[in-house]
Amino acid sequence: MSSTPAAAENAREARGGKPPKDFDRPRFLRVLMGLFLVWTFAPIAVVVLFSFNSGKSLQNFDGISTQWYSDFFGDQQLRESLIASLEIALVTMVVATVLGSLLAFGLVRSRNRLSPVTNVMMLIPLVVPEIVAGVTALLLFTQIGLRLSLTTIILAHITFSISYVTVIVRGRLAALNREVEEAAMDLGATRMQTMRLVVLPAVWPAILAAGLLTFALSFDDFVLSFFTTGEEVQPLPVRIYSSIRFGVTPTINAIGTLMMLVSISTIALALALPRILGRRGQTVLIGKDAV
Amino acid sequence: MSERRFAGLTLLPGAGWLVLLFLIPLGITLAISFGVTDDLGNAVYAWRPENYSQVFDPLFVPVLLRSVGYAAATVTLCLLIGYPIAYFIARFGGKYKYLLVALVVLPFLVNYLIRVYAWVAILSDEGLINGILKDMGMTTDGVRFLNTPFAVVGGLVYGYMAFMILPVYAALDRMDSSLIEAGKDLYANGWQTFRHVTWPATFQGVLAGSVLVFLPAVGDFVSAQLLGGPDTYMVGNLIQQQFFEANNYPFGAALTTVLMAFLLIFMVFYLRSAGRASEEARA
Amino acid sequence: MTGRNTDRLWLPDRMSRRDAFKVGGGLALAAGLSACGVGNGSGTVDEAATERAIEPKIDGDLVYFNYAQYVDPALVKQFEKKYGVQVRESYFDSMPAMMAKLGSGNRYDLIFPSAEFADKLVKGNQLLKIPRDKLSAIGDVYPFFDDPWYDPGSEHTVPYSLYLTGLGYRADEIDTMTGSWRDIVNPQADGRSFLLDDFQEVIGMANLVNGYDLNATEADQLSESRDYVVGLKPKLRGFSTDTITNMSSGNAWIQHLWNGDVINIRYRVDDPSSIQFQKNKEGWPVGSDVFAIPTNAQHPGTALKFIDFMLENSAQNSTWTGYPMPTDSATKPYAELTDGEPELQVSVDDLEKGQQFANLEGADREAWDRTWIEIKAS
Repeated sequence: MSSTPAAAENAREARGGKPPKDFDRPRFLRVLMGLFLVWTFAPIAVVVLFSFNSGKSLQNFDGISTQWYSDFFGDQQLRESLIASLEIALVTMVVATVLGSLLAFGLVRSRNRLSPVTNVMMLIPLVVPEIVAGVTALLLFTQIGLRLSLTTIILAHITFSISYVTVIVRGRLAALNREVEEAAMDLGATRMQTMRLVVLPAVWPAILAAGLLTFALSFDDFVLSFFTTGEEVQPLPVRIYSSIRFGVTPTINAIGTLMMLVSISTIALALALPRILGRRGQTVLIGKDAV
Repeated sequence: MSERRFAGLTLLPGAGWLVLLFLIPLGITLAISFGVTDDLGNAVYAWRPENYSQVFDPLFVPVLLRSVGYAAATVTLCLLIGYPIAYFIARFGGKYKYLLVALVVLPFLVNYLIRVYAWVAILSDEGLINGILKDMGMTTDGVRFLNTPFAVVGGLVYGYMAFMILPVYAALDRMDSSLIEAGKDLYANGWQTFRHVTWPATFQGVLAGSVLVFLPAVGDFVSAQLLGGPDTYMVGNLIQQQFFEANNYPFGAALTTVLMAFLLIFMVFYLRSAGRASEEARA
Repeated sequence: MTGRNTDRLWLPDRMSRRDAFKVGGGLALAAGLSACGVGNGSGTVDEAATERAIEPKIDGDLVYFNYAQYVDPALVKQFEKKYGVQVRESYFDSMPAMMAKLGSGNRYDLIFPSAEFADKLVKGNQLLKIPRDKLSAIGDVYPFFDDPWYDPGSEHTVPYSLYLTGLGYRADEIDTMTGSWRDIVNPQADGRSFLLDDFQEVIGMANLVNGYDLNATEADQLSESRDYVVGLKPKLRGFSTDTITNMSSGNAWIQHLWNGDVINIRYRVDDPSSIQFQKNKEGWPVGSDVFAIPTNAQHPGTALKFIDFMLENSAQNSTWTGYPMPTDSATKPYAELTDGEPELQVSVDDLEKGQQFANLEGADREAWDRTWIEIKAS
């Protein structure tokens, strides 16, 4: 069985077959990929570049300066906001991913009467406009007398992130081949072991993708956060939102760049974690390539 | 423990959370949608179903159609652009796979507003692109990129692209690449392979991505607010206006309920027919 | 792949009517409970809450809630240093948003409502009485504000800034302005015109153009105003409150905006004299934002000290924000900043002759909301 597309191409050519003129050509896709990266990175380049601008303008680059970064780090409230945003995003990511993955599993595998109702209930947050989510979350907290704080922001973020995780994980979960799990259990594995050693590694990329998406969404969120934030520390996007309407300042560009760096580090860490924690679960890996 | 019991239990934490923290706010939305605003500007519970007849005013039909149209365009573009990208990474990424995914996702880690304002700077009448075009002599007054429906859809695509790429990538990554090779041997050309092998195998991922892009896009208001013109008014702007300007929470809540109901019904129909189609295709 | 029925993935197995009723029932129950339960709205707050005696002395960090970039940050730092406290800033960008957060139980020490909203807050007994006699710099404030329409006796507020609305335009591209609101669609601008995305400003402007009162509420008057604006739409580039970005990026050659914006735009363009302001002959809205201390403030003493401090430094603040503060010491420096451009200044005469936005309520407010929706959605 051929393993890489390149080897397959060679094999086909060796057979004398014509390479089909199609989309499955690396070169065409490579160009597309290049263009895509240019398009997505263009504004990033502008943001990063102008965060080092010594002047205030967004049109002319006057010279290199890191003053905006020192301004940022010198401002206690901005630092607190950055840390708050990070905390919120991390907690949301962990909790929402766990809850959402479990929910995905339940929805795909269970056949009880609760399932259809839960399914609809899970989909509704996806159709609620953020404003409404924010206002009603605010009203909920006010009515039960819960004072607004980081906790309320986190609660709100998790609530509206679960659906994203469920939707993503479910896609991958449904395509799994159950026979592998059944084989494992026939061989003596308990349900928990099967979950850990067969199902989890197979679904892991989807869980990871969902987790990262949740992190990014939470870190960047404004509307929901605005309504559920207390009077003291606020997440960074809330701070930015009002200021940015007055014109983008280099400080804002610096904040944007910093947020990006923080996100990168967190994600790099998340990706590196499985490798660091060892390959125990990987040796029994039969899920991915099972027929 | 049987699998069913086990799976049933796993439903509980997530479902429980949603019931407590989501269903109740939803109930509040519903309750307020029948309410009124008192003189002090507070929304109070009452019984005023007229809020709903206001929602069905013919004035809003174009607004709704436009929102659905923009959202559909956004999904289409995200798919057209995002699928090949995900495909490239999953199939040809090799050892750089994770790096490429990271690169693709990276821009989405910068605050959306900041990115949009950077685009405004780039695309302004006197911005970077127009500067180049003017130097090349292709235009004198500058091309109007901003404040058009294209800018709004562009903003939406820019904001939601990651929602499409990630699920599709997850689906593509799962797929056994030897299936594609087998397909190529079986079918005459690449398009056939794609249609009969790749597409069905990744369909669930595409579905997930489409849902995650379409639904929020319909209710989006930021893109239209920052990049739109006088005729790009979307449902999201209408709703936002009720909460942020008019202070008319009841009407805003009524609009939201109707929008949500509409989207849910639409989704059920779409998913049902899509599911049926994919089954037939596979048969 | 086995022929798995994966449409079950998305749709419930047997989504029957019973299930739909279950979800609907759950919702209705939740709705009913929340309505019967604690109930929304503060109801009528006791007036006694506003009578808390406060002194201008430092009693902790200041929790400040305002528009972003509406106070000179250098002054904030100065205040922090001078009194050894922190100013914890939160921002809102619309009055209803501010009201929503106020009603949520957040304890802000100092807020900056506009006059109409101050009116609302005063009537709702949500603001502390401010002991004017204890503010050392209060004498500097224009006497006009001793008894303003929105706060009889000026018991609960101190005026913060003055603004008026007009048209900003690119003098280097347009030379045929006629001094009228109708210039918004001057053909030389070739469609590069923006109206504010603000229902009060737009409907008010249309009212003025049609010769009516700024706050006209009769049905036929509002229809006429609506038709006027809808008629403008094909020639407009958009509705936008991003006035500074629009004009400094060249996307707008004519922009409906406030006087202070002009100053801010000039700080950001290569040629400040290219940006000019026009006060229009049909009339202009003039307004003020005010300092106010909510009844649940935890550090009202610091808030009073801050108000006093800002009044003392009104000249510096006015030149930074671009909006004149209604104090004698700010008048001359602001006049110097806007030398030769009296239209940018807000004199007491303007305050008396200009029209101010009223706090529309009930049916009048609904009529305006309706008109705005019709303008936007048509």
